[in-house]
Amino acid sequence: MSKPHALRGVLATLISESQSPLTPEIIIREFRATSDRRLPACELINVLKSISEKRPNFAEVTEEISHILQNKDPMYALLVFVERYRESEPSSPSSSSTSLTNMGSPHGSKTSSDVNSATGSVCATSVTAGTSTILGTSENVSGSARVSLTQAQDFPTSTPVNSKKSSDSDTSVGFVRRGPMERNRGAGKDERNDLSVIKERVLSAVSDQSLNGYRMVTNKSGNSPKSSPNELVKLTDVPDEYRTNLLWEYYNVDGDKVPRRAIAAMPLPSQESMLLDELLHCLTGVRESLLVPQKPSISAVGLAKYDVDFDIHTQLDCSLTHMVREILPLASYFMGVQKIVSATDGLGQVMNSLNEALLELIHDFYLIIVQAEEELRLNRLTLQKLLYYLQPTIWVMHEVWSSLVIIQLSDSRDAEVLTFLHERIKRLEGNKDAQQLIIGLVRKAAKPYMRMLQMWIQKGVIVDRHQEFLVVDNEVIHRDELPEHYSDDYWERRYTLRDERIPSFLAKYSDKILRTGKYLNVIRQCGKRVMPTQEMNLEFDPTSERHVSVINDAYYFAARMLLDVLLTENDLMGHLQSVKRYLLLNQGDFTMQFMDACEEELTKNVDHVLPMTLENLLGLTLRISSARNDPYKDDLHCELLPYDLVTQMSKIMKKEENWKAQPRLDLSGLECFAFTYEVKWPCSLVLNHISISKYQMLFRQLFYCKHVERQLCKIWKENSIAKQFEPQAASLYRAAFTLRQRMMNAIQNLEYYMMIEIIEPNWHIFIEKMKTVENVDNVLRLHQDFLDSCLKNCMLTESSHLNRSIFKLCKICLKYCEFIQITQRYFQDAELRSMVRDSADSSESEQESLHCPQVETPLDPADTFSERVKRFDLEFTSLLIAFLKQIISMAKKNTADCFMNLVHRINFNAFYTDQMDKMCAEAAMG
Amino acid sequence: MPSEIITLQLGQCGNQIGFEFWKRLCLEHGISPSGVLEDFANDGLDRKDVFFYQADDDHYIPRAVLLDLEPRVINTIMGSVYSKLYNPENVYLSKHGGGAGNNWASGYSQGEKLQEEVFDIIDREADGSDSLEGFILCHSIAGGTGSGMGSFIMERLADRYPKKLIQTFSVFPNQDEISDVVVQPYNSMLTLKRLTTAADSVVVLDNTALNRIACDRLHIQNPSFSQINNLVSTIMSVSTTTLRYPSYMNNNLIGLTAPLIPTPQLHFLMTGYTPLTSDSDINTQQQVNVRKTTVLDVMRRLLQPKNMMVSTGPDKSNHHCYISILNIIQGEVDPTQVHKSLQRIRDRKMAQFIPWGPTSIQVALSRSSPYVQSNHRVSGLMLANHTSICSLFERALNQYDKLRKRGAFLDQFRREDIFKDDLNELDESRETVDCLVQEYEAATREDYMQFSVKRGNGQADSKSEDSRSKTSAGS
Repeated sequence: MSKPHALRGVLATLISESQSPLTPEIIIREFRATSDRRLPACELINVLKSISEKRPNFAEVTEEISHILQNKDPMYALLVFVERYRESEPSSPSSSSTSLTNMGSPHGSKTSSDVNSATGSVCATSVTAGTSTILGTSENVSGSARVSLTQAQDFPTSTPVNSKKSSDSDTSVGFVRRGPMERNRGAGKDERNDLSVIKERVLSAVSDQSLNGYRMVTNKSGNSPKSSPNELVKLTDVPDEYRTNLLWEYYNVDGDKVPRRAIAAMPLPSQESMLLDELLHCLTGVRESLLVPQKPSISAVGLAKYDVDFDIHTQLDCSLTHMVREILPLASYFMGVQKIVSATDGLGQVMNSLNEALLELIHDFYLIIVQAEEELRLNRLTLQKLLYYLQPTIWVMHEVWSSLVIIQLSDSRDAEVLTFLHERIKRLEGNKDAQQLIIGLVRKAAKPYMRMLQMWIQKGVIVDRHQEFLVVDNEVIHRDELPEHYSDDYWERRYTLRDERIPSFLAKYSDKILRTGKYLNVIRQCGKRVMPTQEMNLEFDPTSERHVSVINDAYYFAARMLLDVLLTENDLMGHLQSVKRYLLLNQGDFTMQFMDACEEELTKNVDHVLPMTLENLLGLTLRISSARNDPYKDDLHCELLPYDLVTQMSKIMKKEENWKAQPRLDLSGLECFAFTYEVKWPCSLVLNHISISKYQMLFRQLFYCKHVERQLCKIWKENSIAKQFEPQAASLYRAAFTLRQRMMNAIQNLEYYMMIEIIEPNWHIFIEKMKTVENVDNVLRLHQDFLDSCLKNCMLTESSHLNRSIFKLCKICLKYCEFIQITQRYFQDAELRSMVRDSADSSESEQESLHCPQVETPLDPADTFSERVKRFDLEFTSLLIAFLKQIISMAKKNTADCFMNLVHRINFNAFYTDQMDKMCAEAAMG
Repeated sequence: MPSEIITLQLGQCGNQIGFEFWKRLCLEHGISPSGVLEDFANDGLDRKDVFFYQADDDHYIPRAVLLDLEPRVINTIMGSVYSKLYNPENVYLSKHGGGAGNNWASGYSQGEKLQEEVFDIIDREADGSDSLEGFILCHSIAGGTGSGMGSFIMERLADRYPKKLIQTFSVFPNQDEISDVVVQPYNSMLTLKRLTTAADSVVVLDNTALNRIACDRLHIQNPSFSQINNLVSTIMSVSTTTLRYPSYMNNNLIGLTAPLIPTPQLHFLMTGYTPLTSDSDINTQQQVNVRKTTVLDVMRRLLQPKNMMVSTGPDKSNHHCYISILNIIQGEVDPTQVHKSLQRIRDRKMAQFIPWGPTSIQVALSRSSPYVQSNHRVSGLMLANHTSICSLFERALNQYDKLRKRGAFLDQFRREDIFKDDLNELDESRETVDCLVQEYEAATREDYMQFSVKRGNGQADSKSEDSRSKTSAGS
């Protein structure tokens, strides 16, 4: 609508209201005139006053306009003026168009009637409740447009234009009344004239049933149970104009005052035409004398609750009675449908939309009645004819009615209704008309649902005030507020499915639907715009699977896009490579160099380790090792955890959130140390807190083993001095050297096993699978699988304390290294000096050589060197054998694990077999 | 702080194989003969700084020291395109240039005389590295310079750098042909003693086996030095590949060698390589025999004696066994295959291991250079500590004994300082090698722990009692 046109239109309306002699043209001319020819401001105001004084907001507007006139151009003031009144306007043209088009084109009126009914009910409840704004807002269904409509309708009730409108704010009442209107032509106008009188009477005769209906409305609209009785009380004395869903449910308007005519005396044709007349009324719900509805029994259950039986005048001709009996169920169905419609009004978008479709149906029904009435007036209608006309309608209406009653009785809402109707379609195979009808109903009822669905899968937005949609947004915290754990929860908890809200025809795709929107939201959180590439037109059609392909397209679009964002733009794989490089020790030289640099610091007690020093050393190492080319090297940081690996394991596995570390004083920096890797959203979805913790567990075990290996290597180098010893003397230390080698063998094989047999193959599999990955959920799952498999096979998940055994083995190795290092200088001194002195001083060398076979350690002066070695040997071997036995017994139970490979590795040449057998035998004996 | 390694090339043979080794490293790291990084070599996944350092103009200089007493080989190197690669300060040629005359004693004495100048170079290199890990020495044991001067330098290094590792690539003389160096048995014996007492690990490169492999496996009649050296450079480069392309394990020299050497004496390592292909430019007329290679294939072939670079002679009593094995596998390896292959080898008992300690085949998966194309998908190098290596020493002992009994050619030794007074050094060396052979023989037996060497005077060692009780209590 163009501006001047709107301007003139509004002015014209105002003028016609005020019946002033002015025309819009004159007013506009006055306001447009140049300042010298223009009327003074007060005159202009008077003009406006004269045409608008009938409006309720007239005073304020005039005030405002006079202000504007003082400062601004009068034309602007006029526009503002018009704008003010136009705001309260649109109902009036639309209502008039409704009344114009209602009869001719029912489709055109549907929207507005739905709107009206919705807002009507809003007004009704909010005003009647009179109390809770909560109710008002929660009931304020469908966006601001309707709200403004409501306001528009709220105040002008007193004006003549609107009084008409507000009275039929409920179109369903309007429809119902159209029946009586028709009847009025034949039967007089008295009843129609004073609507309020009728309603008053009706009100006094309000049946239990309609009250029930109301109770349902209020309960369903989400009031707290506490307030609802209060409202019910108020509901009963509601002013009648707010009783929106009132029906002509055969209320006994004038008691039994309708005279019972002596029908038997009439001739059959007059009986018939009278009967037809009454029958038509009856079909529209008006009480008559020949066909009297039975009082609904209060105890009725099931279908009967919405069924009405009629008593047929006994004096009627039996042939007529028979035919009437055929038709009468239609009246009952019709009434039942209307009752349900009014009862479920405003219970969510799906119900509203279904009701809308039903109203359309009812409208069509009225059209038939109108046609029949037309025929009747022309005296062309016979009962047979009517029956013939109505027969298909009866069948179809029966179906509709029974479906609705089932819905109503089972108290189904939202998705359940769609599910139910959708299944109903299948059952109606063979009953084509009814099937078509239900299909139409489903299609329309599903519209708002599909609209929500489209919003979700196209933009990832949920607009769902009635909690009808299958996805629920559980946003509790904002991303910025809790960055650390945000990613952990985000994926699992932010959006979830509501199983009871999934219509059956979407059940198969619910997961895809959930993920589509979730992906879009993640993309948006990455700061990218979600731009759907093509127009989406999502409609549900029970006869076709088109919606499926739309959902699939949207899903693939979102999945691909997020995958691109994650893998290409944020280089997830690069980050994972980096994590593997540092946390899984793949970059061996870096690890070695870091250990070189930090060894001193890390062997201290954890309380004395300075994190800053570590961080500096880490930065230094990163820059001088081959890691310097890694773009993500700066994401790596040091962390000193206040607990050891065993404790961390139980923490992770039990997922204890509020687990508290007891400060332990006996931990070395090495046991507490771990790398941590910082990632930004959205990579943190994959590399979340839990994943990093798992990596850290692997890291700590590997790192510790590596440390032990290094210590063993170190004493290996120191021991290699023994090649300069006398060959005879060398044999003395052979036991010590072979024990060291056995330790090295065990530790290295453990490392090889974890790195080469577990981590590397699993990584390989992970990478292979990642090449064909389709969505981010898969990425998450694959990554999780990779980590879990690594953890499990590196013995970090078992409750059987395998990793405790590893830890103990490492400990004894370290102790042994310490021991050898201390004794090293003694035996080195002894052996090499004795060689030198052999030639120089024989007496001295004798003492020395006496001393040399039993090098005393300062640790335990009572023990000789070889005895000490023997004890270490004993301890280490028993620990190792126990460890191997433990693995073997576990492997017997669970053959799927690869622990057995470790046994094969450590015992590759069957060196330990005898000892294990012996231990078995001992175990069997003891 | 990378674990740098300084390479010392001694004598004719040492410089030749060293030259091939550096050529190979340059190729693998994408470094041009003049030391400049090629344009294509910028993926930065390798570690060049173990073997190279960068000059101010960023060109790469090998951490190599070239030593010789005669100028021929070094002049060839300095006349090649690679002349700009080396730091000229690190090339040391004896002033008089007369060589050592294939005399160990001469080389040893000259080494002693020149030690200050030589160690100036070595110390400078050592100081120039952040955390020197060790030295790699390339030499032959039969000649004069490599063996004699090498022996001296080894001893000094062990003394001067006790914390640093000394690894040697030692070329053993070809037994199949009559050597023109008559004192070769003496030279070998004297060098072997130093290899036993001063080196931490010795990678034995047996010319006998190398020639045989060139003939049998590569079908080259009368292989040239460069073809043999090509084999050697392959072994040298692959055995250092885990240092240069680091992965989970074996990323430093000590981590590479420590697991292979259980007791300090048993540090002579064999190598094996498969699949062997000759350079295509050598025999273009031959069709290249490309095999299917899997991890199992490679690991199986590596256990076959014919692929070993040491000719150990027939093991009549079949008692020799592996003390330890490290397989370095390169190429497109499916990591899941490793375990299967190991399992297969274990089940089929394809390898015989020592009975006195746990041991296994360690497998290091290593990346290989992206700039060197290989015909094979998988290739493997085995570094093994095998007791049969002692047959090499036995052979040397036999030859030595034959010569020594006759007292032949000793005059030229007596001329040098070390033998001025007596020939004790020769006898001591023989005894050391004899002890070594005994130790290797003992390592094949279960009672290795109780073993003690029998010297000429046959002192029984009472201390072995301790170790005996130890093993029995081991359970």
